[in-house]
Amino acid sequence: MSALSAIDRRTFLKIGATAAGGLLVSFSWPARGENAGVAIGAFVEIEPDGSVTIFSPRPEIGEGVKTSLALLIAEELAVDWKTVRVRQPDRLDPKYLDQFTGGSGGVRDSWGDLRKAGAAARAVLVAAAAERWGVPASECRAEAGAVLHPASGRRLGYSGLVKRASALELPKEPALQDPKEFRHVGKPTPTVDLAEIVTGRIAYGLDVRLPGMLHAVIERSPTFGGKVARFDASHALAVPGVKKVVELPADRFALKSGRPIMVANGVAVVATSTWAAMKGRRALDVHWDAGAGAAESSRTLRDRLEQLASGKPGEVLRNDGDVDAALASAAKTLEAVYEVPFVEASPMEPCNCTALYRDGVCEIWAPTQNPYDARSFAGTAAGLPQESWKKSVVVNMLRPGGGFGRRLDNDYVAEAAYLAKEVPGAPIQVVWTRGDELRHSLYRSTGYHRLRAGLDASGMPIAWSHHLANPSRYRYTHGESPPHDSEIMPDDFPAQLIPNFRVAWSEAESAVPRGYYRSMMPGANLFALECFLDEIAHAGRKDPLALRLALLGQPRALKYSGYGGPVFDTGRLRRVLELAAEKGDWGKPVAKGRARGIAGGFVFGSYVAAVAEVSAPRGGEVRVHRIVEAADCGTVVNPQGVAKQIEGGAIDGMNLALKLEITIDKGAVVQKSFAEYPLTRMREAPQIETHVVQSNEAPSGIGEIAVPPAIGAIVNAVSAAAGKRLRKLPIRLA
Amino acid sequence: MAKLTLTVNGQARIVNVDPDTPLLWVLRDELSLTGTKYGCGEGQCGACTVHVDGAAIRSCVTPVSSVARQKVTTIEGLSPDGRHPVQRAWIEEDVPQCGYCQPGQIMTAASLLAFRSKPTDAEIDDAMSGNICRCGTYPRIRKAIHRAAGLAARKK
Repeated sequence: MSALSAIDRRTFLKIGATAAGGLLVSFSWPARGENAGVAIGAFVEIEPDGSVTIFSPRPEIGEGVKTSLALLIAEELAVDWKTVRVRQPDRLDPKYLDQFTGGSGGVRDSWGDLRKAGAAARAVLVAAAAERWGVPASECRAEAGAVLHPASGRRLGYSGLVKRASALELPKEPALQDPKEFRHVGKPTPTVDLAEIVTGRIAYGLDVRLPGMLHAVIERSPTFGGKVARFDASHALAVPGVKKVVELPADRFALKSGRPIMVANGVAVVATSTWAAMKGRRALDVHWDAGAGAAESSRTLRDRLEQLASGKPGEVLRNDGDVDAALASAAKTLEAVYEVPFVEASPMEPCNCTALYRDGVCEIWAPTQNPYDARSFAGTAAGLPQESWKKSVVVNMLRPGGGFGRRLDNDYVAEAAYLAKEVPGAPIQVVWTRGDELRHSLYRSTGYHRLRAGLDASGMPIAWSHHLANPSRYRYTHGESPPHDSEIMPDDFPAQLIPNFRVAWSEAESAVPRGYYRSMMPGANLFALECFLDEIAHAGRKDPLALRLALLGQPRALKYSGYGGPVFDTGRLRRVLELAAEKGDWGKPVAKGRARGIAGGFVFGSYVAAVAEVSAPRGGEVRVHRIVEAADCGTVVNPQGVAKQIEGGAIDGMNLALKLEITIDKGAVVQKSFAEYPLTRMREAPQIETHVVQSNEAPSGIGEIAVPPAIGAIVNAVSAAAGKRLRKLPIRLA
Repeated sequence: MAKLTLTVNGQARIVNVDPDTPLLWVLRDELSLTGTKYGCGEGQCGACTVHVDGAAIRSCVTPVSSVARQKVTTIEGLSPDGRHPVQRAWIEEDVPQCGYCQPGQIMTAASLLAFRSKPTDAEIDDAMSGNICRCGTYPRIRKAIHRAAGLAARKK
């Protein structure tokens, strides 16, 4: 994810007039990556009739960013939220940098820029009013869509000022509102678009309807890397409505960088309706060459990981003190293996994309978190030269029905663009079935963690060794970052707090495509770290909370080189642990048959902790009764939005702790439906409470942070309730 | 192919489709009623829930020919103005995140409330556990159903 944050953020404000003669405030900036030159983006439009439109640039995938980003602008602009219309750009357009959602970076990365846009617009409106009244601007202030001159009691609405304001020069460094004066930021605000959502009117990717549109489904190689040996389309073509059967080659989808687009070799059935395409697919007769991937199964990969984690590490990423000597001299030593499986993000809206190829232009309608990549993938798949993409690839952005990391990869866009070129002139909508989604996705990587600790006579850890073996996401995508960067973070707690500390990584090869899942690396690793800490606490006869607090010590800033850094503040983690403990009744008596667990962490720049209360009856099923989360994510823009993300994140933590696992048998995914990939349901949903620390720090990540501590807290609680340590996700009592 | 007359949201609609086509795809592809969602195609997630003669059913596994004589109601037809007590409660509790599953959740909840005006938590569990919300909005859905029960009672 580090590559995603490497964006040049020098921005320059611009002023202009809207078509109706209103005020338009935009940015210019050195644009991202390949879009050389300067682009201009519109963020605020105030029309002479007084209507205010705020553009919220990043894709909304359910994380609430459309609401929170617009709130930032509205705050600085000093307008009444009820009068504001919030829009998102319909298309990928360099002027809206950054049209990207991922890494819990929406508010964090836009906070400065968008406040500045709102403040600059306010400044010229105030200047226009001051000029009209012949008073100094410093005597005026803006409030609820109007400029006031308190000394004379005069007031002018923005609508009467926009024409003059649009001719003024924008301040380079506009004065920002004092956070103490915030009227919108920090107040619970409902999500925009609620009325459209509850009536079914809001359009997701799969809801695109175009004249003459065709529908396609694809039968893909059951094994990773397998190839079509031969196929007979005659029965499929006999299904009423089926128009065409097209093979999707796998090998042509490589970007110029050499980075592969994981598109499985497959056979597509194109028809006049989704159902006809699905029936046609069932009538296909395809024979496959399984390929080298067929040698891989979960069992063989696990054996390989075990072997790697037991041997000499591939890379030592951190090596403080003398771990081996400290382990040898420790009063007590512990060793444990923690394992996480491959998991698939499975948003409710399956992958889909609609594409139209006509006159050398490929237009796509895509539910994506990552429209820049969508354009590259579509352009490559349609065989259009990269120099032409600005004009030859048009990316229409549709609301995704959930993301969870799946829509950072745009493989499904490449498929649609390729098929569109095969059926020029007709829009074609490609849809994945749920089985396709589970079996042909990109998966959050599996991991095998070997952990060792040495304790002194007082029970405090003095030595720690962590060796992870797994396949790397970054290796898979040929990214610029080193392969270990997507898998392990050598500064994660309790690094720097135990004198002898080693973090090592060994790379495993795998044919399984690696992608993202909400909370990514912390979601996989904090489970191992936080549960092993629990073991250390028990071995040293310490309370798990007390051990963590003792390790964290006095509040101070430690270096954190990974995503969410550069600083890790021990005091802020301490505070959320204490808050979660207090609100979650840590240390208080618990009902018979139940137990509590605690976990915390530093996730994407935020500090978060959870206490879970569970029961785990012998021979029965784990039941999570209550999850209490405490978070410090800096300044909170929308507390209601934060609460919703934490509630959802806690439930996603349940998914990962108790339920989800992708297994591989002879190169193919075993799970084919929700019956085998059982997401948490209503009757399992616990009571969830969120407590947010009041903070004036800059905002940090929100969307993913609740997941990792929920996993750790649940597993620690279940281990306590069941009286045995559970170390493999998803945990099983039997 | 067969010519079928359906009653959808109070209107007679004539479609010419393969009689085994699931109702879901007739609604979405033939009638452009895209508020009803595709999530799994196997009746396991509930995103496709509609009412047939008032009862919540999974349209993705219901052949269109089996409902030709019944009244089909989709999210678009749940209320004329989007002010059904369940829809109001969903807004007041700020339930949705991505929102994709919510038409199905709302249709299931509306059907539950039609049969049980004051559902208990256990009844909510039973009625709603066929509908997956990937965003995990369950605590808010539960609150919204209780709220909707109150709204509906006040209306009477």
